[in-house]
Amino acid sequence: MNTLLQLLALFAVIVGTIFSMLGVLGYLRLPDVYTRLHATGKVGVFGAVLLLLAAVAWTPLSLGKALVLIIFLLLAGPVTSHALASAAYRSGIPFARPIRDDLAADEAIPSANENG
Amino acid sequence: MQLWMIVGLTLLYLALTGNLAANNVIAGVLLAVGLTALLHPDRLRINPQQVATSLWALLRYGLVLVKDVVQGAWQVARLVLHPDLPVTPAVIALPSQTESRWATALSAHAITLSPGALVIEIGAHGVMYTHVLEAHKAEQSAAELQRLRSELLEKILPDTPPVRSEE
Repeated sequence: MNTLLQLLALFAVIVGTIFSMLGVLGYLRLPDVYTRLHATGKVGVFGAVLLLLAAVAWTPLSLGKALVLIIFLLLAGPVTSHALASAAYRSGIPFARPIRDDLAADEAIPSANENG
Repeated sequence: MQLWMIVGLTLLYLALTGNLAANNVIAGVLLAVGLTALLHPDRLRINPQQVATSLWALLRYGLVLVKDVVQGAWQVARLVLHPDLPVTPAVIALPSQTESRWATALSAHAITLSPGALVIEIGAHGVMYTHVLEAHKAEQSAAELQRLRSELLEKILPDTPPVRSEE
């Protein structure tokens, strides 16, 4: 049982660290704020969740507390990404090499209640 | 909604106290019911038939979400590590396919949680303007996935106010 937990923790630490690093690499390589948010916001959260799971398996952190932390992380991560992307769009930061932009085509701003 | 609040508060209490003894569970339930009654004194009702459907839908929703997140993380990892960085970013308009405000908000959350897709704005009638990293792949799957998601969310949250209440 102990060995199994140890292996689980090892796996989670390795995969979690890899994904955290991929988040940083994506941040460095991707062209604009929107694409960078994909890497940092979400892949980063994925890494943090895996590291928390490793902590449950290998430290005295209780599963309940870790689950609450994971749920809060999963709730807050996308909200931050969305808020940053929305703020960037409203301040007029352009997309880097978009192949299609339905938002500009529809000119939809949430406060404007036009049809379509 | 009220039932979810009770269940949620009880689970939160149990998670934080880390003690599953019967008296602690009872204390948690009592606290949750009390808090819920304080916050919504006129709307405390439980329909046992709904609970089973909702819980089953919640479980399926959770599994779909996990699959989505893992797939998305893999996709982004592959893109980031590729020497040519073959991203084809696009903003696609994705109808939420549901009338419920909660379901729309939670769909937007689920989409943004999955790496590779990011809801930038929600327009009129719950259209979600989603920024995607790989346009050709996202277009095929996103609408279908959203249909499943909205269907499950409407089962999970049966009595929520619609988006277009004012119209």
